[in-house]
Amino acid sequence: MWRRYGDAAYTLVTLAIFGFETLALGALSLSFLLGKWAGVTSTPIEGVLLATVVSAASALAMVGLYLLSYQFVSKLRDRRHAGQLDTWTERWIGLALADDSAESIAGSPRSRRLPRAAVHAVLSLLEAVKGEEGDRLKAVLARHGVDRWLLRHVASGHLTARLDAIESLGKARLPQSLDSLLVLLEHPKPVVRRMAVRAAAGTVAIMPPEPGPDGPGGKFIQALKTADLKAGVVQESLLLLETKAGAVLRDLLADPDLPDSLLWVVLETVGRLGLADMAEDISRYAKHEDPELRAATFRALHRLGTVPDHLQRTLLAALNDEVDFVRIQAAHAAAFLPAEVALPALEPRLGDDSWWARRAAAASLARLGDDGVSTVKRAAQTHPDQAAREMAVQILLEANLLDPATARLAKGVA
Amino acid sequence: MMQTPRRTDARILVVDDERVNVVLLERILEQDGYTNVRSTTDAYQAATLYDEFEPDLVLLDLHMPGLDGFAVMEQLEGRISSDSFLPILILTADIRPEIKRRALSAGAKDFVTKPFDRTEVLLRIQNLLETRFLHLRFRSDAVPEGRAT
Repeated sequence: MWRRYGDAAYTLVTLAIFGFETLALGALSLSFLLGKWAGVTSTPIEGVLLATVVSAASALAMVGLYLLSYQFVSKLRDRRHAGQLDTWTERWIGLALADDSAESIAGSPRSRRLPRAAVHAVLSLLEAVKGEEGDRLKAVLARHGVDRWLLRHVASGHLTARLDAIESLGKARLPQSLDSLLVLLEHPKPVVRRMAVRAAAGTVAIMPPEPGPDGPGGKFIQALKTADLKAGVVQESLLLLETKAGAVLRDLLADPDLPDSLLWVVLETVGRLGLADMAEDISRYAKHEDPELRAATFRALHRLGTVPDHLQRTLLAALNDEVDFVRIQAAHAAAFLPAEVALPALEPRLGDDSWWARRAAAASLARLGDDGVSTVKRAAQTHPDQAAREMAVQILLEANLLDPATARLAKGVA
Repeated sequence: MMQTPRRTDARILVVDDERVNVVLLERILEQDGYTNVRSTTDAYQAATLYDEFEPDLVLLDLHMPGLDGFAVMEQLEGRISSDSFLPILILTADIRPEIKRRALSAGAKDFVTKPFDRTEVLLRIQNLLETRFLHLRFRSDAVPEGRAT
């Protein structure tokens, strides 16, 4: 019923409608009553009608009143919460920037349970700051028992309470919560699994690296392999590993039992994170039997901006792959081959059956220096395939290598 | 010759939709001696504040509702003369290289990833301000005597 924005306008409109209805029904009730008092004879049906009108007017008046009071109380509570949040934020910032050690804060006598605004403030700050300041804030959570309270609620049977606890742990990034979060990756509800893997990834990101299956990265990988998660969710969680992503991705690639679906995500993530030092690690999938994985490998290499020398022949062969989306990604990656190798291989692809492969080939040629641009320009005018000529013109226009008048001329020739 | 301003006199503008982040940055900067800090949680106010305050450095969040950091940089671009150096330090939780590339080409000069380390933020701010002041000094020295305005 309530939206974040436009609450006031909604209330006013509703009140105007209800107010109008109430007034109309009130006036009707009054006229009935005046008629009774004036001695006008009334039938039982008129009595029932009067009662209906009066009750409807009363109901509308009550609903209108409820809307007003709800809005008023909500605003009041929001303002009070914002005030408390500001107060607690200032207090926690003061504590975070002070010289006290995290151990002394956590070791001080346990205090009363913190109000909601205080927990909210400390969790928000933990999303913004790490290092010594973050450690002091985490010590606050330990001192007030918030960490234990959140870990209890992670196992709660109540879904909302559980999701709130997972979200809070994701902000707090408490190392002691990792095991509890990873257990939730087996939860039957997808939303729980999704939130848990995000929170777990953020937690692994701040934990000191520890090799082996019992380290945070190893535990995360084991949980990820068996969890039923969508590719996008896994990829997001891998991105959330921040500086730990490289090590985890390397361990995942080294796993001989890695499912293909997870391997695809790993290849995508390597590319998206620009981990150029992993180009060698991923290059062995360029010949994978699954075309999705071959394409993902070339897409990653394109994003990394490098093609290992030993992969040149494989990449050239992939330009003629029977699957179009492999040819497309191979054509993109070919921009990072030596020009003398790429030029003769890419030029024929300007006449590819696939529009996207033609486009990728033309774009890659245009990136291969003067010789590449000359090839595209030549293709724009003399290529026997009209689709190839048009694509070449398009790419030259986009790269500002051709003025529109010449482009029209070239198309005319085409 | 222009005297190099004190680092702590630098005017710093903070733009972040999260009030908690803004207050945190203000306190960190205050504690480090900075006295000229202004901030807003409303990205739509960034350009107006820039005009009024003429900051030496902008700390900018990238992901904000309505007007995001990229749009703010676009607005500021029209206000910054081509021969001046206004450092924009991006504060973001987004570590994707394409986002960094996009922000750098939009005018950002450096990045700090959230959650950030206080020391790292202060060092980056200090480095950017040093560059800013050196640039201002160079520009001032380059103007022939009697023509400085």
